[in-house]
Amino acid sequence: MTELLQNLIDGLGRGSIYALLALGVAVIFGVMHLLNFAHGELITVSGYVAFWTISEGWSWYLVTPVIIGTAIVTSLVIERVAFSRVRGSSDFTLLLTSFGVHFVVSAIFLLYVSASVKTFSEPGWVANTFPIGSLNIEVYDAVVIGVTLVTLLATSWLIQRTMFGLALRAAAADFDTARLMGVRSDTVIRGAFALSGLLAGIAGVFWLMRSGHTTPTVGITPMLKGVLAALIGGLGSLRGAVLGGIVLGLAEVLLRSRLPDSVASLTEGFVFLMIALLFIFRPQGLIRVAHAERV
Amino acid sequence: MAEPRGPNAAHAGMFPNLRRDVAFPIVGVGLLFGVFVAVGLLYQSSFGGAGERLVTTAMINAIIVLGIQIYVGNTGVLSFGHIGFGAIAGYTFAIFAIAPAEKIKRIPDAPLGLTDVDMGSWGAVGVAIAVTVVVAVFVGIGLARSGAESGAVAATVITLALLFVTHEVARHWPELTGGERAGLSFRIGGKLDTRVPIYLALAGALVLARLFAQSRRGRLAKAGREDDLAARAMGVNPMVQQMIALLTSVAVVSVGASLKVYETGSLLPEDFFFFFTLLTLTMLIVGGRNSVTGALFGVAVITVGRELARRMGQDGFEVFGLGLDSEPLDWIFRENLQTVFLGVAMLGFMIWRPKGLLSDWEFDDWLYRRFTRTQSAPPVPQATMSDESEARLEVSDVSVVFGGFQALSQSGFEVSSGEVVGIIGPNGAGKTTMLNVITGLVPATSGQVRLNGKELIGTPSHEVARAGLVRTFQNLRLFGSLTVRENVEVTRLVAIAEHDDRSTPETDVLVAAAGLWDHRDRRASELDYGNSRRLELARASAARPLFLLLDEPTSGMSDTESLAMVEQVQTMAALVSAGVVVIDHDLDFIIGICDRIYCLDRGSVIASGTPVEIQADPAVQAAYLGSSAT
Repeated sequence: MTELLQNLIDGLGRGSIYALLALGVAVIFGVMHLLNFAHGELITVSGYVAFWTISEGWSWYLVTPVIIGTAIVTSLVIERVAFSRVRGSSDFTLLLTSFGVHFVVSAIFLLYVSASVKTFSEPGWVANTFPIGSLNIEVYDAVVIGVTLVTLLATSWLIQRTMFGLALRAAAADFDTARLMGVRSDTVIRGAFALSGLLAGIAGVFWLMRSGHTTPTVGITPMLKGVLAALIGGLGSLRGAVLGGIVLGLAEVLLRSRLPDSVASLTEGFVFLMIALLFIFRPQGLIRVAHAERV
Repeated sequence: MAEPRGPNAAHAGMFPNLRRDVAFPIVGVGLLFGVFVAVGLLYQSSFGGAGERLVTTAMINAIIVLGIQIYVGNTGVLSFGHIGFGAIAGYTFAIFAIAPAEKIKRIPDAPLGLTDVDMGSWGAVGVAIAVTVVVAVFVGIGLARSGAESGAVAATVITLALLFVTHEVARHWPELTGGERAGLSFRIGGKLDTRVPIYLALAGALVLARLFAQSRRGRLAKAGREDDLAARAMGVNPMVQQMIALLTSVAVVSVGASLKVYETGSLLPEDFFFFFTLLTLTMLIVGGRNSVTGALFGVAVITVGRELARRMGQDGFEVFGLGLDSEPLDWIFRENLQTVFLGVAMLGFMIWRPKGLLSDWEFDDWLYRRFTRTQSAPPVPQATMSDESEARLEVSDVSVVFGGFQALSQSGFEVSSGEVVGIIGPNGAGKTTMLNVITGLVPATSGQVRLNGKELIGTPSHEVARAGLVRTFQNLRLFGSLTVRENVEVTRLVAIAEHDDRSTPETDVLVAAAGLWDHRDRRASELDYGNSRRLELARASAARPLFLLLDEPTSGMSDTESLAMVEQVQTMAALVSAGVVVIDHDLDFIIGICDRIYCLDRGSVIASGTPVEIQADPAVQAAYLGSSAT
């Protein structure tokens, strides 16, 4: 029982980060029908910024807003340089454009920094734990879960209660009609990229705090988790993305602790397998999004 | 030489036209193969050992890229997973090909006693293909199910997940794969000491890729690529075509991957991962993913470009022996320039030329058109078929509710072969919804659709089409990058497989009868509005329907064109002896063509009868004609 509770809390911590990443992916999918394989690059760029600022002696309290800002700016720059030029293209073009962005960004770091791993110090409290009853809670998990909860509430308010949120939802439902109704596509798309950058920035802070290193390809894993979580939840559904992230995090932690030691290192493989099975038996993901095609 | 014609040419075999689809492609790829190999040999004779390795690698990459092309090019689904399949094949090959004495050093505890297996390299290639194809069957089922639900994007993510699964397994199962750092390295009998197997595999991959594209299956797959929904409505089940394309494609990739492993002499998880995916996909899209010629051309262009980038990264302009000062460009001439080159090539092509250098141009297709005298006079339609079997479509009590909106309530109509029945009504009356229900695109809340007494509600779209109900689309859903002839031909392929008992009119006859003879070799996407509508009609007729269901065939046409359309619909319907159900706004057109008319308003039938009765009906005048009737 204790072990299960412990797993749930660990999984929730991990899943929170995935949820933030998946939400960013889903927001952009909503406005552009683009599944963004370059989403992880926001963390790659942030990782190098963290490396440079921390080796200058900055504290994590200062580095945190810098990372978030970097992620937002990077997201907007990528939109401007690449995605704005392929708006409305076929899925094929959109997917490969984002794949291309991923490679160009990581190649730039490969070219101008190096392929080697750059490490930086994590904040001291990351590994601390505090006891609740028989449980040992990591401070890190508690912070991650708390911040994610606040972020999700704020995002939900933004989407449900503001004009921007209304425009975003309208655009996600039917982009062309939304434009006819006076929604400015530039504003909505840029807003969505900024929001997605903000969410990735927050996730990135946690990701980097834990890992303490960066490489040109460090973004691949968070990208994959975000994209898969968004897909598990049901592409296009924002609630589904959050749910998908949490489910993915829980599944990973539970599997890792339950699998026999000899195959524990294959956890990721098993998770992918389960996702594949999910698609075979419930191809629309956890939450079905009605997508009407006019015929 | 004229096309072979006559009823005997209409067979439901693998290839619609042997000369065009088999003879010319084989000659064409033979010439391409010759040029590719000759350029390679020329290059290596001037660069020695390093050049030889480069050329060998390029040929192996070409095999893998051609394999990917078979799937991606014909189905239009982007796959990141083919390199994952490559990894499965590569490891299987290595494990079965390495001699036990060598294996014992790296993987002494391989499961299933694989350490002691000794198959030799030929057997190992066979096992590699078999294992990979079995995995591909399961992946293909997942792709088909998710693709049907959420479109190509979900399918792409599944392929990406496959790439990661194979990578994770390769990294974390050292007993089988030698793990992340050590990997497998081996001697089978030395490295490949002759290039003959590579030449054979490359030639085979080229022929297979080209023949698949020209085959019946390949053509049906391309219809699905162009418009999944329209392909279904014409009786094509894209899922079946995609699965066949996937298995063919994966088999070719397996051969390429085995050769790559053999040639390299070692295998690490990284060898079949992101970078190799980037490399092969860039080769594919730069040349033109929809063309085999393009794929081969892309391999050549990217191999040369990447080699140039690599050497300029080392030596700057000295590569050209120019003695130019490259110092101002030192910021770009760096190690790893080749990775930047690949990323930029992919991104640049996606932004500025997503179809690649050659788009869908094929060398053998060009040869064929060059060396085949085209028939200049349009063929005369043969006498109308004396197919007098009576068919009857009964639609009754159909209701459809969208959310809270009742789109159709208890509506229906009847039509028999030889009749033309019109459905009119104001916007939002439920006319198109009616067609969508009949053709299986929209589920009915209740009601029956019976064709010759057989219930069709709940039948998938492509089976409705094969049963004999084929529609056109109000908002034009042609197979855009196929030519006019190909649009008709691909649908006709479905028909001749389905009804070989009834002779189906030749493609050219249908094209000419629809008034599209002068445009027969143009792409559907280049047609103007009126011709697009005529092609919709011709394409649907080619499916040999019992009933043609026409969704606003004159929308956007001028009055003269509309009048001409009356005759065209009658001609086409007579040519394939189909009954007609037509929806339209254009009253003159409807009255000119219909035997009977049903009038829908707010989801219900408010009147039915002959054109004269309908025009006189006060309810129709109130609901439909209103004050705007002139």
